[in-house]
Amino acid sequence: MRVPTCADGEPARLRGVSTEARAPVAKAVPRGLLIDRAWSRLGDAVAPLGNGAGRPLARTVKLILDPLVLRPVLHPEFAGGAVRPEHADALCDRITAAGPVLAATAAWFQVLKKARRRAGITDGNPQDLYFQRCYELATAHGDPRLDPKAADRAAAVLAEVHDQGGPTAAGLRAFVTDPANAAELADLLAAAWSAPAEPVGPPATDPAAFLDTCATAPDQRRFDALVADRAGTRGAAGLAAPGAARAHGLSDRDVPRRPELGDTAAKQHLPKPFDRSVVERLFGPLTNAHRDALDDVPALVRREITRTGRPWQLAEEEGRVVLVLGREASAGLVGPATGDAATRLRARWEREAYVRRAARMPSAVPARARADVLGVREAYLRRLWVRAHGLELRRETVPAAGLWDVLDGVLRSVILDQRDRLRSALERRAAG
Amino acid sequence: MRVVRGNGIEVGDWPHPERAALLEGRGALVAWDVLGGGAPAARVHDPDRAADWLWEVYGPEAADAVLGDAAVVTPTGPGAGRTLAQLDWARAWWPASAVAGVPALDPVLLSAERAVATCEVEHLLDDEDATARALAEVPADPAVPGLSERLADLAEDFGVELPPAVLPARAEFALAAGSATAATAATGTTVHSGASPVDWALVPAGAVDAAADARWAVVRQGGATFVDVVVAAGPRPDVPLVARFADVDVELGDVDDFGRRTGRAPVPPTVLLLPPARRVLTVHAPDFASPPGEPDPDAPARRAALVAYARSRVGDPAATLTERLAGRR
Repeated sequence: MRVPTCADGEPARLRGVSTEARAPVAKAVPRGLLIDRAWSRLGDAVAPLGNGAGRPLARTVKLILDPLVLRPVLHPEFAGGAVRPEHADALCDRITAAGPVLAATAAWFQVLKKARRRAGITDGNPQDLYFQRCYELATAHGDPRLDPKAADRAAAVLAEVHDQGGPTAAGLRAFVTDPANAAELADLLAAAWSAPAEPVGPPATDPAAFLDTCATAPDQRRFDALVADRAGTRGAAGLAAPGAARAHGLSDRDVPRRPELGDTAAKQHLPKPFDRSVVERLFGPLTNAHRDALDDVPALVRREITRTGRPWQLAEEEGRVVLVLGREASAGLVGPATGDAATRLRARWEREAYVRRAARMPSAVPARARADVLGVREAYLRRLWVRAHGLELRRETVPAAGLWDVLDGVLRSVILDQRDRLRSALERRAAG
Repeated sequence: MRVVRGNGIEVGDWPHPERAALLEGRGALVAWDVLGGGAPAARVHDPDRAADWLWEVYGPEAADAVLGDAAVVTPTGPGAGRTLAQLDWARAWWPASAVAGVPALDPVLLSAERAVATCEVEHLLDDEDATARALAEVPADPAVPGLSERLADLAEDFGVELPPAVLPARAEFALAAGSATAATAATGTTVHSGASPVDWALVPAGAVDAAADARWAVVRQGGATFVDVVVAAGPRPDVPLVARFADVDVELGDVDDFGRRTGRAPVPPTVLLLPPARRVLTVHAPDFASPPGEPDPDAPARRAALVAYARSRVGDPAATLTERLAGRR
């Protein structure tokens, strides 16, 4: 394979030779290879954004190079695992051109880490929290070593990131336990659970058709049609039947009951989603990052109460459709896999059997971990519900192009979680 | 290496799990055969995702051929991820054995080296939080110059707090335990005895000496018949073990003067009439695996080879730091 340009020492734009002439072989080039080579030319100045092997850190690519430098949304030719050779130079040039900003970004990252250490902050992953802020600082103020106000700016960013606004768990507890609100919230809850079912007509769309191309060529129009056709609401119809919510992994009860308002929550050992109190449902999102994207407490609580009485206990049709898609795609985890998405999830689950053997994980399941580890499909739907619920609370929507990452990513995190549980069951037993 | 295209792309022969140093990449699994050497096998299930990084394992030309339409490829590649895969193999299958002279690995050093190795290939792993996860598993600063500093930097970059170094309080895993082949220290009259190897797949890593046989003896005492079982312990012996002999389960709840796991259970006298094929001892850790394991005629040769391989890694400058320093600290 002829790897065009970029590998050859001098920047392509200085050579003035057309890419087409230099790369007659129309083979696509690994994007990672181009990024790697362009990166290596940036030298030591960007080392704080790289790993010990001199490559950009995974989050450098994900949080900086992709969204801020390469911007595949504007430049679809830079998306995907491989890049057409005629675009290889352009990709490298963008990174090379961003060299000074990236060097300053790296320097700002060092400054922020130092300030963080001095302030005794230990929350969160500094890369997730600061990388894009560093890029902003670098773009606006250049190299921090030449900026007399660097320390002040770093302190301001830290204050902003760590003293983020938004509702808090304490505020939530105060609101729901305030006697002045009791009657209103109780009425709301009663109303939410006595509202008539939302009528849906006969289906005009088929979730399976979207799932068939969801991983390879996601079709936004098909997804939009599912939403317009209320396929998610329709798919919730059976959930009230005895045992149905339990079979979905969403409840331990035969029939889901109206939730309590609740007043406390422990992040560990939460009940199943439909069995959670209103406080328990909101507790996770309130203690995670990005709570500044949430409504204020009274609106958050009122909306959550209404949500609990709706199909899938979700407010928006998009999230309900995601649950229906996930239910269909995960069917292959416990039975025959039909359709492309189900086949892919099934294949991931089958790979896991080999991975576990190679990692010498238990092949028999310890009694105390059994409920956690068996029931992969229930765990899948549970995790998917939590994700759809969180998206709704933050008013984020997933474009059709990102849905496969959600459907596949949920299974991956269920699998990783199961491994952790199997390992810790082993450790605990060894300790006891 | 052969490339087979069907449901995904298969490169090379897939190794048995006990000899596989496995890398879980985005879009493909890669497995080095620790006994075979050479380039790794791969199972590509999402070529588009794998295209981003497969060249780092196979080299650009071979990766291109794998993802193209070649039937045979000759990898030249740098083998990214080899260290992490090797450490994962060692964590699972390192056959620590006093009998065979394979010293135990230091679990702190292993987890520390693994965290550093994870970060170097995080961009190609199928878990974008792999480094943070690996860092969270490090129980203490390994106190190894160079590695400790790298680890501290990583912990700061990923916002993980590392516990401080602890003085090695780990029980020494003596190499010279010639006792493992001694006769069982049973009281009573031994009327029959024998030994069977322990199936690695039935016990967690380090629970028993990987190369020592489990030994049994049928004894008569006070008019009753018992079976006595003894098995040499490994470096992480605190796991409940049960031995099954002729359908009788024997809990290995005791530890003898040599640190071996022992147990005794009454058996019917008719046990002596059983054909030799049924006088087989199977040791397993309940909750970890259920006996009997799948009969595997290749197991004795494969495990002997793995024991010899592990012995060769100790002190080998080409091995991971963890393997190189086995038993040295």
